[in-house]
Amino acid sequence: MKVIVWPDHDIPNVAMYTWFRVGSRNERPGITGLSHFFEHMMFNGSQHYPSGEFDRVMEQNGGSNNAFTSEDVTAYQDWFPKDILELVFRLESDRICCLSFDPKMVESERQVVYSERRTSVDNDNASLLDEQVQAAAYVAHPYHNPVIGWPSDIERWTIDDLRDYFKIHYAPNNATMILVGDVAPEEVFRLAEQYFGPIPAQPEPPGVRTQEPPQLGERRVSIRKFGQTPLLELAFHTGAADDPQAEARDLLVDILTSGESSRLYRRLVDQDRLAVDVSGSVSPEGFDPGLIKLSVTVAPDKGPEAAEAALLDELSRLARSGPSAAEVRKAKNTQLAAHWRHMKTINEKAERLGTYEVFRGDYRKLFTAPDRYDRVTRSEIQALARKTLDAKNRTVGMLIPEKSETSQ
Amino acid sequence: MTGRSIAAMALATALAAPASAPGINLPPSREVRLQNGAFVILAEKHDVPLIAFYALLRGGGVGDPAGKEGVAALTGELLRKGAGKRSAQDIAALVDGLGATLGTGAGLEASYAYGEFMARDQAVMLDLLADILLRPTFPADEFDKVKEQSIDALRAAKDDPRNVIRDYASAFFYGNHPYGRPVDGDEATLRGLTRQDVVDFFRANYGGDRLILSVVGDFSAAAMEAKLRGKFSDWPKAPSAAPGPPAPARVSGRRVLLVDKPDATQTYFWIGNLGVARGDPDRVPLDVANTAYGGRYTSILNTALRIQGGLTYGARWLAPRYMQAGSVAIYSYTKTETTVKAIDVALETLSQVRRAGIDSLTLASAKTYIRGQFPPRLETEDQIAGALADVTFYGQTREELEGYAPKVAAARSEDVTRVVQRVYPPLEDLTFVLVGDAAKIRAAVRKYGPLTDVKIAEPLLSRLRPGARDGRHRGGDRG
Repeated sequence: MKVIVWPDHDIPNVAMYTWFRVGSRNERPGITGLSHFFEHMMFNGSQHYPSGEFDRVMEQNGGSNNAFTSEDVTAYQDWFPKDILELVFRLESDRICCLSFDPKMVESERQVVYSERRTSVDNDNASLLDEQVQAAAYVAHPYHNPVIGWPSDIERWTIDDLRDYFKIHYAPNNATMILVGDVAPEEVFRLAEQYFGPIPAQPEPPGVRTQEPPQLGERRVSIRKFGQTPLLELAFHTGAADDPQAEARDLLVDILTSGESSRLYRRLVDQDRLAVDVSGSVSPEGFDPGLIKLSVTVAPDKGPEAAEAALLDELSRLARSGPSAAEVRKAKNTQLAAHWRHMKTINEKAERLGTYEVFRGDYRKLFTAPDRYDRVTRSEIQALARKTLDAKNRTVGMLIPEKSETSQ
Repeated sequence: MTGRSIAAMALATALAAPASAPGINLPPSREVRLQNGAFVILAEKHDVPLIAFYALLRGGGVGDPAGKEGVAALTGELLRKGAGKRSAQDIAALVDGLGATLGTGAGLEASYAYGEFMARDQAVMLDLLADILLRPTFPADEFDKVKEQSIDALRAAKDDPRNVIRDYASAFFYGNHPYGRPVDGDEATLRGLTRQDVVDFFRANYGGDRLILSVVGDFSAAAMEAKLRGKFSDWPKAPSAAPGPPAPARVSGRRVLLVDKPDATQTYFWIGNLGVARGDPDRVPLDVANTAYGGRYTSILNTALRIQGGLTYGARWLAPRYMQAGSVAIYSYTKTETTVKAIDVALETLSQVRRAGIDSLTLASAKTYIRGQFPPRLETEDQIAGALADVTFYGQTREELEGYAPKVAAARSEDVTRVVQRVYPPLEDLTFVLVGDAAKIRAAVRKYGPLTDVKIAEPLLSRLRPGARDGRHRGGDRG
């Protein structure tokens, strides 16, 4: 296990992130969503802290915690006053060393996760569309599956699935720990050695072999569902988090969607009044090639077709003529300011350090990020736009609202 | 990315409890009252080359004339859509071009502008701030556009009930009281607004005496004071005092609003009554009670509904605090089939806490938790700017922030017990607001009280208008 410490004495608190290299990417049909479910189970009992105790002890001592799972990783977050540092090491190491699996807890937590799916996907039209677009954009690679899992899998995981998963993925050698806050590095390293040192390493987990084959033409999905407003989402295959063009790609997405002066906001929201909002992202920014996603909340009385036509027109203009010098300067400033904003809190510093260490291979790259953004040229962004925002490489999703009979 | 618990919900209650703990070093601040009444707070903080500002103007949605709900918010939004000699596009290009942020709008009790920029850009960003507050132009085409977008956004928000349940709850619960006005309006009230309404609202509600401006970050306080004096000293006062809503009344008896969302596979519920005002003398013991009951992961409420019940992904006790008393409410959601079960479990926790109080171990834990989690809320320029403006707005001082942690440590369990009995509503006096598939739950939820039915596609206020608020006298209960 690698441990990275950044002392910061502004407030008497610590942010601790433990990243495990396991996410939905490591799953197969039948156990989709298991990484995320496992994240929940990590709070449901271990040798010295039976079910419920992790949270109870943490909060009783002034700490709080959470965790998240993505396609690529599962990260455990603790935020606590500095005087309980050792206690947090004891809690964290106990569940890695000696997790227990109580069948009753598995069933109860299964319902919690299903509730999470209902609220964050099934009853949220934008998330539902995103799930379908992602599934259509990937036909072979496990990024096809939603992180939270398909409903039938949520209903059917077994306790053996969990036991196997734990053994394969939850070993110190598959983890990276970041601490930022009011701590002394020597003490952190001593505690890490004391509490995690005795936990045996495991064989390297099996790699993910499947690569997504090149997309050879546009794919379209549509959802018809009760709703007030149509939604549109476009996805384009792009590189992984450590792609040499990652910075150019971020600038490209900023130029398209960041702020009210961005190209797509100006055109779709401001000028043509076809949309309520637009947003863009790279998802996932993971170990394997991800997607540039452009999402549009279409104005309820305007057709999504018109919004799509205007959006595609803007994309081809950008590919044809490239961004202006002012747009590139603006996007670089946006990235620079964002860099400083991430440096404001111990929490975000821990998150950023971890992201660079885990996904981009070295936490030190965080500190040189502004320079790398600064070096990107207009022509690089244009070349990337031409290559990526291409019709053959795109997946288009639409959600068309239906009025249910009972709503008339 | 999929997470484990509903961290975002915590902020709603967190905002009600700004405080400090031993070891926090709030930067020294300089407070200046200009001759027109504007109040300026400045604090230097030099760890990153950023400056954050937070401007509050007394009078937000509570200043909306009846029937014109949403005008304060629309006015606030339009501040950045044309000001001085700048067009909306100029402002967006300037802000984005500098990598800055700028937000404008209105909440219930204040209109606001906030933002953050790199220290090197302070001259141009302060010019912009003065322009948007003093010299907005409200261009007609921007008015039309923003109004139309606001209507569309209200409709779009309904496609995720988490976005709207609290608006339904406020409108139904407060009825005629100004706190019941939906700050963003509804589709019908927005449609009726004219540009003149916005201009009138601005003239009546914006002025130097209404302004609280706090600026925190990488600058020299003396130089910043001189600059801000130059920009804001001549701003005339608003023509009238800020609206001060009367204290709302507690609601007796039970009633149920059922918002029909026919495709919903789960029911979202809000169950509450009136709580207390921001300045309530029992604030500290009440914060402890709220944290223990429904303000953290291991809270009594989340334990019953999620940890032990497996009925939901999250459950919280919401207790926003305004100048006058705001509501207190249980908030959660569960699959359609377990609607009654989850509500009954939630009600049982409320009854239990009122009856038996909160045990001393849980209280000790809640106190430690509040103090342990407090410092990260006052860590950054923007957090500090927001907190300093906020305490000033509510008539407090920075000592309120700095003295909070010791007060939490000193809170006695008898005070907590007493305050729970005073503030937490009894089971016979509760308003229920449910968003879900009405056809599937209507018959079962009738047991909680007389029903008012609305459909989610209707404008929010259409059947909840002042004068028509009481479900017992309305024909909505068709089964």
